[in-house]
Amino acid sequence: MVPTFQRAMQSGCRPLAEIEIRAVLEYFPGMAETVEPVVMPDIEKEEQTGAESELDPGYLVICWDDPVNLMAYVTHVFQVVFGWPKPKAEFHMLQVHNQGKSVLTRESMERAEHYVHQLHSYSLHATMERDA
Amino acid sequence: MKLIQRDGESFLFHISKREKGLLLEVLKLYPLIPIAHHRVSRTTAAPPVAESQKLLESALADRTRENKRQLLAMLTRESRRQEADGGHRLKFTAPQMEWLLQVLNDIRVGSWIILGEPDEKKAKSIELNDENARYYAAMEFCGLIQMTLLDAFQQSD
Repeated sequence: MVPTFQRAMQSGCRPLAEIEIRAVLEYFPGMAETVEPVVMPDIEKEEQTGAESELDPGYLVICWDDPVNLMAYVTHVFQVVFGWPKPKAEFHMLQVHNQGKSVLTRESMERAEHYVHQLHSYSLHATMERDA
Repeated sequence: MKLIQRDGESFLFHISKREKGLLLEVLKLYPLIPIAHHRVSRTTAAPPVAESQKLLESALADRTRENKRQLLAMLTRESRRQEADGGHRLKFTAPQMEWLLQVLNDIRVGSWIILGEPDEKKAKSIELNDENARYYAAMEFCGLIQMTLLDAFQQSD
């Protein structure tokens, strides 16, 4: 709207045009600041029925070092399988490389199995061990 | 082989005629890792873990079959493709790249097993001979292609 008004002034329009346009602008003051309704996401809190350790002994998913898998590849697999950001994936990859293994996560038996299957499909050396 | 263009989840590579021939030959080695090589646990063979081991082997067998099916389709498709600009164009989606990474790593790790699991840290070196030399070449070539694919994932559009 402003550029149109400027063009009208340059082409010699009467001041009335300015008044008219300003009147229109004042009549619709909220047009440029229309607020969209905000829809808040539904957040459902899972009910806890007991401490995690009471329900399931838990399994640790461990990745072991080997001299064949490329460091960049291991980092990539951790990012894909666990959805981790690169710094976290690199941290665990370096732990595997320097310390011989890294505990990647602690899960129920089914979830641990799922992760071990995923890691094996990428040919990484991973196991699940019962958490002591 | 190098990345020419990335458009979101689509990757376009240039591969020379010689590289492509080598890649197709190496891919024919898949699968190389024996399914029993993967162990679900190191510590126990108790019933829950024994069941998990069976489940793992079944899942890996299914995955291997599916990978093999996709691989054969790709080999057939690529062997028919015409040469252009002194080489070929290979186009992959992100899921195809993931699949190819898995297949290449199976060949890399499988070759390493066949070579006697050499390990520099343990001063366990490779003893090459006429029979296993091709696996050494396959292991190194797969690593090279894997790095190209991984670098491509890092490239922005």
